Amino acid sequence: MWADTLLIVFISICTALLGEGLTWVMVYRTEKYQKLKAEVEKQSKKLEKRKEIHGDSLDKQHKKKIEREEERLKNNNRDLSFVKMKSMFAIGFAFTALLSMFNSIFDGRVVARLPFLPLNWIQGLSHRNLPGEDFYDCSFIFLYILCTMSIRQNIQKLLGFAPSRAVSKQGNSLFGTGPAQFK
Amino acid sequence: MDGKTTSKAPRNAETPVISSAWSRALSSNASWPDKEEFLDVIYWARQALGVLLGIVWGLIPLKGLLGLLLFVVINAGIIYFYCSSFQNVDEEEYGGAWELTKEGFMTSFAGFLVTWIIIYSGLYYDVEKYA
Repeated sequence: MWADTLLIVFISICTALLGEGLTWVMVYRTEKYQKLKAEVEKQSKKLEKRKEIHGDSLDKQHKKKIEREEERLKNNNRDLSFVKMKSMFAIGFAFTALLSMFNSIFDGRVVARLPFLPLNWIQGLSHRNLPGEDFYDCSFIFLYILCTMSIRQNIQKLLGFAPSRAVSKQGNSLFGTGPAQFK
Repeated sequence: MDGKTTSKAPRNAETPVISSAWSRALSSNASWPDKEEFLDVIYWARQALGVLLGIVWGLIPLKGLLGLLLFVVINAGIIYFYCSSFQNVDEEEYGGAWELTKEGFMTSFAGFLVTWIIIYSGLYYDVEKYA
C-alpha cells in the first residue's frame, strides 16, 4: 500500500513540474505574457487602492473612473487568458493522455484505504473502477486529484507562477458581485 | 493614517534592516508593512499545519467525520488565534477575518487529506485482504 500511494504522490509531483515547465516554455517566458501580467498586476493594485479610498463615495466622477479602469483591466485580463489558452490546450491534451495511461495501469486496484466515508457524490470518484461496494476503498484517480490539488498550487507558489492576490481578487470581483456596488 | 504611524516612531527606528519574514512570523506583534508577505506566512503556516495534522491523524488513527471536523476547527482556530492574539493584526486591513481564515485553506485541506490517507492506509490497512 505504501508503494502505491507514494508512487501516486511522485507521479503527481512529476506531472505538476512537467505542467509548469511546459507552461513556462510556452507562456511564462514570453515577452507578451510578462508585459501583460505586469500591466494587469499594476492595474489591479491601482484599482484596489482607488476602491478603498473612493469605494463608498457617491461621487459620480469617481464611480466613472473606477468603471473605466475596471473595463481596461477586464480587457487586459482577457488578453492574458488568450495568451495562456494555446498552451492550456496543449497541456490539456498531453495530460488527458497521461491520465488515461495511469488509469489503465491502476485499473481496478485499491490504492489506499480512506479513514472516512466520502459523501455520496464523491463516491463516484473515490470508488471509480473498483470492484465491490466498500466505499472506504480509494481509487487512483481520487488520490491523484487530491495530490494535484495540493502539490500543483504549492509548486506554482514556490516558483512564483501563481497569480497575485490583487489580481485574483479583482478578477473575482469583475465576474462576481463587484461591479454591482457601483451601480 | 500615515501621519499617525510616522509620528509615533522615531525616524531612525524605521531605517534599520527589517528583519526577515521568518523571524517576524515567529515574534509576536511584529509589523507587516507588506500585506502580501503576511498572507504568505499564513499560507505556508497553513500548509505545514495541514501536513502535520494529517500525519498525527493518521498515526492515532482518527477516523470519520470527527477527523474532518477536528481538522477544520483546529486549522481555522490556530490561524485565527495567530492573527488576532499573537500578531494582533487588524483584520479589516486584510478584508475581514473571513479572508484570513480562508487563505490557503483548500490547498491545506487537500494536503491534509493526502497525508492522512497515506499514513492511515500504510499503517493500519490490511493489505492481505485484497491479495
